[in-house]
Amino acid sequence: MRSTKTGARAGRAGHAGRAGAVPYLFLAPAMALFTLFMALPIGYTIYLSLRRTRVSGLGLGKGARTEVFAGLANYAAAVGDGELWAGWLRVLGYGALVLALMLGLALVFALMLDTAHVRLARLTRISIFLPYAVPGVAATLMWGFLYLPSLSPLGEHSFLSADLVTFSMANVAVWGGTGFNMLVLYTNLRAVPREYYEAARIDGASELGIALRIKIPILVPSITLTTVFSVIATVQVFTEPTTLRPLTNTISSTWSPLMKVYRDAFVTGDLYSAAATSIVIAGISLVLSFGFLRVVKNHAFGES
Amino acid sequence: MAAALPGSRGPARPSPRRPLGLAPTGVLVLGAIYTLFPVSWVVVASTKSEGELFSTSTFAPGTGLLSNLADLFAYRDGVFWLWLLNTLLYAGGGAVLSTAVSTISGYTLAKYSFPGRGLIFNLLIGGILVPSVVLAIPQYLLFSKAGLAGTYWSVLLPQILHPYSIYLARIYSQAAVPGSLLEAGRLDGAGEWRLFQRVALPLLTPGMVTIFLFQFVAIWNNFLLPFIMLGDDQRFPLTVGLYTLLAAGAGQPSLYNLIITGTMLSLIPLIALFLTMQRYWRTDLSGGAVKS
Amino acid sequence: MRVNRLALAAVAILTAALSTACSGGSDEPSGEAASQSAAPAGPVKLTYWTWVPNMDKIVAVWNQAHPDIQVTVSKQAGGDDAAAKFLTAAKAGNPPDLVQAEYQMLPSFVAADAVADLKAETAQAKAEFGEGVWGLVTLGTDAVYAVPQDSGPMMLYYRKDLFEKYGIEVPKTWDEYAEAARTVHKKDPKVFLGTFSSKDPGWFAGLSQQAGAQWWSISGDAWRVAVNDEATTKVASYWGGLVKEGVIDGMPYFTPEWNKALNDGKLLTWPSAVWGPGVLSSNAPKAAGKWAVAPLPQWNAGENHSGFWGGSSTAVAAKSPNKAAAATFATWLNTDPQALGLLIKEGAVYPASAKGAALMTEAPDYFSNQPDFWKQAADIGATARGFTFGPNVNVTYNAYRDAFDKAVADKSDFAAAVQGMQDATVADMRKSGFTLAQ
Repeated sequence: MRSTKTGARAGRAGHAGRAGAVPYLFLAPAMALFTLFMALPIGYTIYLSLRRTRVSGLGLGKGARTEVFAGLANYAAAVGDGELWAGWLRVLGYGALVLALMLGLALVFALMLDTAHVRLARLTRISIFLPYAVPGVAATLMWGFLYLPSLSPLGEHSFLSADLVTFSMANVAVWGGTGFNMLVLYTNLRAVPREYYEAARIDGASELGIALRIKIPILVPSITLTTVFSVIATVQVFTEPTTLRPLTNTISSTWSPLMKVYRDAFVTGDLYSAAATSIVIAGISLVLSFGFLRVVKNHAFGES
Repeated sequence: MAAALPGSRGPARPSPRRPLGLAPTGVLVLGAIYTLFPVSWVVVASTKSEGELFSTSTFAPGTGLLSNLADLFAYRDGVFWLWLLNTLLYAGGGAVLSTAVSTISGYTLAKYSFPGRGLIFNLLIGGILVPSVVLAIPQYLLFSKAGLAGTYWSVLLPQILHPYSIYLARIYSQAAVPGSLLEAGRLDGAGEWRLFQRVALPLLTPGMVTIFLFQFVAIWNNFLLPFIMLGDDQRFPLTVGLYTLLAAGAGQPSLYNLIITGTMLSLIPLIALFLTMQRYWRTDLSGGAVKS
Repeated sequence: MRVNRLALAAVAILTAALSTACSGGSDEPSGEAASQSAAPAGPVKLTYWTWVPNMDKIVAVWNQAHPDIQVTVSKQAGGDDAAAKFLTAAKAGNPPDLVQAEYQMLPSFVAADAVADLKAETAQAKAEFGEGVWGLVTLGTDAVYAVPQDSGPMMLYYRKDLFEKYGIEVPKTWDEYAEAARTVHKKDPKVFLGTFSSKDPGWFAGLSQQAGAQWWSISGDAWRVAVNDEATTKVASYWGGLVKEGVIDGMPYFTPEWNKALNDGKLLTWPSAVWGPGVLSSNAPKAAGKWAVAPLPQWNAGENHSGFWGGSSTAVAAKSPNKAAAATFATWLNTDPQALGLLIKEGAVYPASAKGAALMTEAPDYFSNQPDFWKQAADIGATARGFTFGPNVNVTYNAYRDAFDKAVADKSDFAAAVQGMQDATVADMRKSGFTLAQ
């Protein structure tokens, strides 16, 4: 209350530090949306995760199925399920592959675009960026067709066999994400004053030397941020394996943690287990997020 | 600023002593071939008739483009067009609203200091950690309680808040809106809303275009939320509509040629949007990190 | 101090947000909520979720003739997702009035109290259906939970021309089928007699039914689960042996890969259901006139059994405010001769009602070489036997996919995969609290 009062007086005084209720008003729409479409559903998920259905007898007919309080039983089951942890392991392997390839390629392409005398820059830039506009479901459908041995122009390899399926999935993600990250890094490079490089050239540095010793260090903050965002997206991998699954028998219904949530909620109809697993996943993500928020603060908002 | 636009070339550079020759161009062309390869497959495959899709060689053009288009447009009395319109409404409306909310939130978080700023920022951006699969069912159950499930609102509203966009808006505001300009405005007696409207908004336009595009693509491509929320197929967006062709039900064949043709057509608006707007947007994530 | 102020501010914002949002919500009534509360005046309006092709055309005929009961079709994606979506909608309290329900999902719908008992409204319709199919909508109880729409008795589709080319006879028993598989594969290693699909539990259930399996049954007030019964284990081991031997392929049905194999003549048979022609004509149009049907191979020479794959019914949501009207429509759709004719012609449906089956006279275009196609189908249909489905078929089916995916990929023991299905099913039922017979 005190802050609002002082704020009303200070608002006109024109000091950004004491703008009173204004910032809260400006943030009200976002907070309202957050409350309604994030906080409330999350709260509801927590509520569901503590409950379960109780069936009596045959479970047919009215009133045979009731919802009861389950305590932490769903959590115990979620944490105790080896498939969930196996899923995390699979996703970690997949994620490491995607991150290394996607960011590596993005960096190479960005540096190439920024070199002098590159031809076809505009055309290749747009082409490499294009997959960003392709929905994940459509992308997987396309690659799915291209992976099938008898249809593939890539030769009769079994891209979806147990040995290769992780690589094949990673390829879809790399294909879709490289262009976006390339553009982020490239625009960053374009913002660098050219004089930075001139001095180096006068000192006799080669293009390669400039790239390694000047450009990459400049890009470090951007690379860190794109990495963080990519890690979060990779942990949530769901679309690619789910869409490829009908085509092959090497992807189980619990391949990634989120697929397990989807299976429980949508296939086997156990909303309560799905809710508990969701909370466990969110908890693990939260642990990751502490590191994430720290990175964001240090690199972008050093002052705040 | 001009240097940040992808389309513009920097000032003339003296030729380097040891040029890399054609190597950079070669690498980029290889990259372009890799990315265009599946897209070109969709274009080729959309010309194939049902029979040709599974019998002719992969990159051989077929003869069925016109009949595929005719079949797709005739399907359920042209429901494809309705799906396209719905998608435009969800993606366009959602992206406009999202851009507005994200911009003012990011601007506020960047340019005001007030108690709770850190907490609110962390809360809003923490949302990125909660996957949409997790939220979709509770959102559906809550919308049902409000009697709004199945309406256009049920797809539009949950997609307005987007942590990533708020994050970007904060970065842009920090880099593009000088505090001194706001101070000067305040000394002239301008209200905070007016300052935002007249001073900050024009400076933030490139960032807003970027956020708009991000959101547009994100909503355009979203599948799960509309799939759960909507029962009436007249309100489906393209992703869900095309999925009903793929999962046609036991004993019904998947309509692959319609799906592929529909996918091909659904890419056109997005590509057009990007080509027309690419001049106005920037993806400079870390904002003025170097400039300052 | 700071924390307190902060908390106060946060609470103030949240309260403001909530109150604006709530008032906002009531200011803008949604189309659906409004139409539901305004139901009494004017004609009864019903919504219908289905994935039958061209159902809107069939419904248009009804709407024309019944201005007081207007049905709106909403075409959905078929399969498991459709059932999950309906169950979620029912749980949330806004299901459609009518829904297409696959027979195996109906017990789940009943267990979730999502569909209404139509006993009174369907008293007359009962006579239109055979006992077997009627049992699938009563679940062996006194209630009637849906009106049967189509059924899928299984038969063997085979490439007549290629059978001649490879010099094999139409197999009468599964032993002969195995022998033929070996012969074909030996003559051309790229060609297979058939494939085992780890993605289609309904198909496997049908084959098990043929062998006499009873995955679920009710004894007194308890469920008996026997997914791993002798018949099912026999079926699984048979196919597992052939997959391991390498003479039967392991690619799933309904994939682009499978379509391609059908087109290229790399797959010679498909043990499928009566709805097969629609799939074949769409996926392998160039092979029209080359396929033929025969009864499924038998386990013992001289026997005559088949199973069911697929088939669905029309159910009415328990929460529908217009159950009677919905039941009237469901009955019309599945028993009226005009509706049946349209279902056959527009929906490519093989009706479950006796009257409907009698309407099937002209062989499908794809089988123009077999003018007695429907007579064969009817004869085979008469030999098909089903079983009672349990209240958690989705769990069993999901376990099928995961277990057989692995078994096919590793060429490991199929009987163990069946045991996995049994364990998953029992564990889930136990967890929910169903009474299980020992």
